[in-house]
Amino acid sequence: MKRTYTLYIVIITWSLAPLLWQLYTSFSTTEALIEPFNFTVSSRWTLDNYQQVLTANPPFWRYLMNSTIVGLISTIITLIISIPASYSLVKLKAKPQKIVKLIFFSAALFPYVLLFLALLEIARTLNIGNNLIALTIPYSALSMPLALLLLSSAFKDIPSELEEAARLEGLDIWQRLRWVLIPLIAPATASTAILVFLFSWNEYPIALTWLSNEKLLTLPVAIARIAGSSVYSVPYGAYAAATVLGSIPLLLLVLIFQRQIVSGLTQGAIKG
Amino acid sequence: MKSIIKLFIPAILLTIFTITSILAINNRPTEINILMPAPFADSTSILVNEFNKQYLGQIKLNVIRGPLETESVSDLAISSLLLDKGSFDVLLMDVTWLPKYAAAGWLKPLDYLITKEDLDSLAPGAEIGNTYNKKLYRWPLVADMGLLYWRKDLMTSPPKTPQELLKVSRELQKKGLVKYGYVWQGRQYEGLSCVFLEVLKGFGGEWISKNDEVGLNSPSSIKAASWLKELITSQASPLAVTNYSEPEALQAFESGDAAFMRNWPYAWSELQKKGSSVQGKVGVTTMVSEPGQENTATQGSWGFSILKHTDNPEAALKAINFLSSETSQKYLSLNNGYTPTRKSLFNDQELINNSPILPVLEDALNSAVPRPITPLYAQISDVLQRQLSSLLTDEVTAIEAMEYAQLNTEQILISTGKLQ
Amino acid sequence: MISLLLIPASLLIFLVFGMPLIRYVWLSFHASSVITGLIPIPNNGGNWIRLINDLRFWQDTIQTIRFSFVSVTIEIVLALFIALILDQSCKGRGVVRSLTLLPWALPTTIMALGWRWIFNTPYGPIDQLLNHLNIGSLNILSSPNLTWIATVIADVWKTTPFVALILLAGLQTIPEDLYEAFRLEGGTPIQALTKITIPLLKPYIFLGILFRMAQAFGVFDLIQVMTGGGPASSTESIAMYAYINAMRFLDFGYSATVMLGGFILLIISSFTCFILVYHSTNVQEKITS
Repeated sequence: MKRTYTLYIVIITWSLAPLLWQLYTSFSTTEALIEPFNFTVSSRWTLDNYQQVLTANPPFWRYLMNSTIVGLISTIITLIISIPASYSLVKLKAKPQKIVKLIFFSAALFPYVLLFLALLEIARTLNIGNNLIALTIPYSALSMPLALLLLSSAFKDIPSELEEAARLEGLDIWQRLRWVLIPLIAPATASTAILVFLFSWNEYPIALTWLSNEKLLTLPVAIARIAGSSVYSVPYGAYAAATVLGSIPLLLLVLIFQRQIVSGLTQGAIKG
Repeated sequence: MKSIIKLFIPAILLTIFTITSILAINNRPTEINILMPAPFADSTSILVNEFNKQYLGQIKLNVIRGPLETESVSDLAISSLLLDKGSFDVLLMDVTWLPKYAAAGWLKPLDYLITKEDLDSLAPGAEIGNTYNKKLYRWPLVADMGLLYWRKDLMTSPPKTPQELLKVSRELQKKGLVKYGYVWQGRQYEGLSCVFLEVLKGFGGEWISKNDEVGLNSPSSIKAASWLKELITSQASPLAVTNYSEPEALQAFESGDAAFMRNWPYAWSELQKKGSSVQGKVGVTTMVSEPGQENTATQGSWGFSILKHTDNPEAALKAINFLSSETSQKYLSLNNGYTPTRKSLFNDQELINNSPILPVLEDALNSAVPRPITPLYAQISDVLQRQLSSLLTDEVTAIEAMEYAQLNTEQILISTGKLQ
Repeated sequence: MISLLLIPASLLIFLVFGMPLIRYVWLSFHASSVITGLIPIPNNGGNWIRLINDLRFWQDTIQTIRFSFVSVTIEIVLALFIALILDQSCKGRGVVRSLTLLPWALPTTIMALGWRWIFNTPYGPIDQLLNHLNIGSLNILSSPNLTWIATVIADVWKTTPFVALILLAGLQTIPEDLYEAFRLEGGTPIQALTKITIPLLKPYIFLGILFRMAQAFGVFDLIQVMTGGGPASSTESIAMYAYINAMRFLDFGYSATVMLGGFILLIISSFTCFILVYHSTNVQEKITS
């Protein structure tokens, strides 16, 4: 027992140390920054960094908002399309089902960053750059393979007698989906939703090429743009404050939805 | 009757509101956004304030402070220009970016906006790098050119030819007067291309001709590359130059360890600062060349371009004219050590008192050469840097390096559709 | 009739995954650059000839393989360790799992910026500690021999939780009785690890390697923000070079060629990996049986 707790502390330290350093930096004054281990510096602590980030133009919460909008819409679109699709996937005959799943699996494996150029060409041709709603289309498409794999394995787990019984009750396919099957796959849907949300929230290369307007940037791109101007160390406290503010929503998400995230990832591993 | 009044009051209020808001919109000053690398945004901030005071209510000039690294500034601009018209009206551009932006059709030709008087006011050499396909796209703010720094306390006059430079270096080293002969920028980055261009021209070679012929494997180019290599093998330059950029070279020269240095004009004021071991002992000239060839200086300048999609080119022009005016350039020269581009300023006594090398800079500007004026410059320079770097770090011979650079460059021209 | 419901999803997947690959193959035989106004013009395989002679592409390939191989190896070992700890039932396991997951859940760019500060010379904690210990500054982010190691550390930190969870899923499929029986036969815990856990975990380890190799091969966010590919393009990955070709050099044709070239190499190396792992599994099974 005791050994387990010691090991817990080791893992947590490893996971959190870099983040705590950011937290520490974010409260440090410029004088304290250049001597991080000297605690005798007078006026060591400050909130200025946060004030600077929150009053910048555009203010930091704007990026959080943009990321949230993109994340939510992408998640909804993905679910609307993938739930019926996974249902029908399970209903396919064994052989075609296996082939289709294999295709989805390789798509889920594909290093999607390589798709940015073609997607950029699409954005240019259709003139949909700098549009947060448009950005959710590639995001939904990119999350689709994973969503299909997770949801179809959930549908597969439902005993076929259950659906059969509902059919005999006279429910048509939509009613069965709505009242019997979807409630049954709710846990898998939650896992899928949170994973898709995380992906869309964190996505970088596509957002980088589809967005250039300062006011529309999603969080990862905004952070990277800030990083671009930090070759020299001077205004670092503000950057640290930005990374801390950007991490808080995710910290909350992970604490609340830990079970769903873990089961989503592990389900993917077991069934995939 | 009452009801009519009741109807009228909102109507009147609405009308008043509409009129005032239209007036308010009309009164709003025209906004001009300029994207600049961070150092320029800082150095011009006072000038920008002055401009906004002078044009209060008419034009509001916003400077967008870009990243510190110059390439990242260009990346930022390109990523917005690739998507739509972009959010900037004016861009402060490095000389090597211009052909790419112009070829992409993102810049507004300035020919009809700039008068002949303006053009005549430029110092000879400052006009280089502002045009593409015979159209003017950029108005220069700061001039910059490669210089050869030499030690007045060690010799009476600077060497004129590559052989002399090498010989003097070795003699001074043998006498134990300096540790190194000549320090320059040998790291694999853009600075190495700038160094090479000067040497290449000094040996009579050409990087890319006007007809898109690559000349990197010509005898003169190979001689130029071999000379750089010889600097290191003869120990006139330390092996460490293969990892030097400007600051390292400056540091070696500033501490009195080297007899010669290749660097940009900014180094001069650094060398005159307290703590410099060579304060008052430094002379400045242009790069050495073979007899019969001209001494040249790689041009590296910054200037303003107006983006094609701007709604207010006239207001943008006013801002550019203000920021690059004689008064502004004088201010930037006195406060930031920027080299001006206006002819008259090179004879300004106050500036000469502040920076006695100004006449030398005028000469150097006069012999400035541009890096190849092609939209493909960034790729082509990368290829050359790579080969020169492996030549200097002893992996390949000069002939091999230049032949490979030639091959790579030609393949770039073919693959991009420049050559058939 | 029901299978019609698959159409929108398949269409989207084809649009985003299939079409680009077809488009890249087509583009790679065309010049589509700032010279042509980004309008494709056939160039007789000029892009591919250039790719074969392009030292930067090969340097990036070697760097990408080195980065992927080293980080994935470290990740698997560390992840196994973490998974074994997380598998122990103990109070507070949920919170520990959440906190372990955090690095994986954060946007890469956030911590890429953070790591840049941690490795900063001279103000970062690492440099400060080294100075306190009188070792002197390492200039980690400006020495080509060290910078890539810093990027490996950042990548390992971020993605190990993901691998750990996959392995954890595997651990939970191993029945407890197996260990019980092994203990009764007098096996030590270390032997249990090598004789039971690792062999039974093999499919999951394999899956972890597969996923992570594919992702590491496309590494982009981390490198772009943390080092920008430098110093002297020593940390540049294939994906970054493709990005630079498109967004900085305005050369879409060559960018597509670089991506396809990288993709082909990825397939070849995963195939080799697969054969090797498959082969070694067979050999081991032959020895143990």
